[in-house]
Amino acid sequence: MDTIELRPEVQAQIQALGRADIVVGIPSFNNARTIGHVVRAVQAGLAKYFPEQTAVIVNSDGGSTDGTTTVVQQSGIEDYSAILLHHRVSPIAKLAFPYVGVPGKGSAFRAVFEIARSLNARACAVVDSDLRSITPEWIELLVKPVLMNGFDYVAPLYHRHKFDGTITNNIIYPLTRALYGKRVRQPIGGDFGFSGQLASFYLDQDVWQTDVARFGIDIWMTTTAIANSFKVTQSFLGAKIHDAKDPGADLSSMLYQVVSATFDLMENHAPVWLPIRGSEPVPAFGFEYTVGLEHVSVHTGRMLAQFREGLANLQEIWREVLGAGDFSEVQRLGVQSDAEFKFPPALWARVIYDYALAFHRKQMLPAHLIKSLTPLYIGKTAAFILAADAMTPAEVELEIEQLCLAFERDKDYLASAWAPDHLELMNKE
Amino acid sequence: MNDFLNLILQPLDALFLSLMALLPNLLAMLVILLLGIGLARLIHFVLLKFLNAIHFDNLADRMGMTALMRKGGLWSKPAALIASVVFWVVMVLTLMLALNALQIAAIDHLVAQIFGYLPRAFSALVILLAGTLLAGFASRAVLIAAVNSGYHYAKALADGLRLLLTVLILAMTMEQLQIAPGIVLAAFSITFGGIVVALAIAFGVGGIDAARRMIEKEHAQQEQSEIEHL
Repeated sequence: MDTIELRPEVQAQIQALGRADIVVGIPSFNNARTIGHVVRAVQAGLAKYFPEQTAVIVNSDGGSTDGTTTVVQQSGIEDYSAILLHHRVSPIAKLAFPYVGVPGKGSAFRAVFEIARSLNARACAVVDSDLRSITPEWIELLVKPVLMNGFDYVAPLYHRHKFDGTITNNIIYPLTRALYGKRVRQPIGGDFGFSGQLASFYLDQDVWQTDVARFGIDIWMTTTAIANSFKVTQSFLGAKIHDAKDPGADLSSMLYQVVSATFDLMENHAPVWLPIRGSEPVPAFGFEYTVGLEHVSVHTGRMLAQFREGLANLQEIWREVLGAGDFSEVQRLGVQSDAEFKFPPALWARVIYDYALAFHRKQMLPAHLIKSLTPLYIGKTAAFILAADAMTPAEVELEIEQLCLAFERDKDYLASAWAPDHLELMNKE
Repeated sequence: MNDFLNLILQPLDALFLSLMALLPNLLAMLVILLLGIGLARLIHFVLLKFLNAIHFDNLADRMGMTALMRKGGLWSKPAALIASVVFWVVMVLTLMLALNALQIAAIDHLVAQIFGYLPRAFSALVILLAGTLLAGFASRAVLIAAVNSGYHYAKALADGLRLLLTVLILAMTMEQLQIAPGIVLAAFSITFGGIVVALAIAFGVGGIDAARRMIEKEHAQQEQSEIEHL
């Protein structure tokens, strides 16, 4: 496996450092506004919870033009006595540089993995650079399970608004859980902890010229860890609040990136997921507490209009992907009134499985296929919002649990259509 | 009397001599035909095996070629269709060669003309196939993008684009085949130009209100849901 070439000055810094116990990576692209806070939180976390360990903060930047790397270099905690009782023994080194390779978060992470391996790091963490809610405790919660408890991968657990994370709640979590049998609640959270051994394993995979380098690194990391039997856990980090999103971000492109990455992984790990039925909980660290979350406004009427627009215009594609049976059920949803609109969990599970099968059979161009899922996803999201409107957060979790169980119940449908021989073998056993 | 008999026998003699002279050519034609049929069948068999081995049908499904064939009323598998087309191309070539073996001036001239036309026919076929695939691909991309943007007339837009591209491709194909190029060019210019002018008038004059509504809708979408999908 070829390694990436780091700049000579970065290599010199790595050589000067020699080794490190902990590496914290912060991928960035034009995040000068928020990255200072993230760097300070990471520094404080390392100083407070890992005073005896040598640590390095790595900012792997995608060629920012707003001075992100300068902000990283200049950000720091002037006076540790304000937040700590004891001074840290060793200073925290910072590396900020533009990564090389295919532009994308995956390439940024690859540079972090490379540095972790060069420094022989025992534990690593990566956090997003646009976080407004990160606290020093996040570093403890992401790193300690690796350093102290022997886990290889730490996925985040957040408190989010009940209407947020709808791709995660309605597609990625139920699908990943049903496929691999592990209840990792935020498989694409973006903030992860992992062992040096797992970083090295990631680095050795032949994916760095693929879409994993561009997008889909989050689900790839989670799935790779689970599918290769690394010890996986979760840590409760509190609220996840980002910097304001790009209002021009296209939902169908976002859906394509996340869903195609997940479907691609299904191809690679079919022998792993095909025999799995049901799921088991994944241990969790951290003290769970409720947090006040920002108000989120939604317009279900417009979302349902978009779903019906899809039904009117994309029926040829949907019929081809879903088959006559599931498509006629989707058609029946179109005549429901806005107030009573419901998308049955079992039907949604089969829709996602049908799309996974169409992707597997290469029924059409992946971008066309997955983007044609957008109106269905919007319909499902609208149904979820309508159902969850009067629910407490705990009740919303129960609703998501019901959806996950529907995915698990229908897994035979997916497995038998994916590999009929495999199911026959399983039944014989 | 002998003169009279000679008068009758001479043409018959000449015919017999001509037939005798033609016989080897006729034999050569039959041999070429038999060999050609055998070769065409062999190529059909090997090509079909090869296309099945590389899962050409799956590839054709993915490229939208199968759907295109279905729309054109072709219900055989894409691999079988390609193998059949190649079979018939070899058969036509065989027939041309076989006729050429007769060494009859009129047939030779016809064969030469057909062979001269083959490159044009081939490039026209390529234009037609590639163009139809492109039209299908582009119209589906527009349909999905328009639906996801909340555009109300997505299907009409995609169908309109497919129609425009089909007209363009047909005009290019016929121009390549040199079928009444002047008329085709004029018809194409009138049709294509007409469609564009009609659209321009429809949107520019008749669609002022619709355009306003679209802009307002676009503006309203800026204020839509704030939910974070990921």
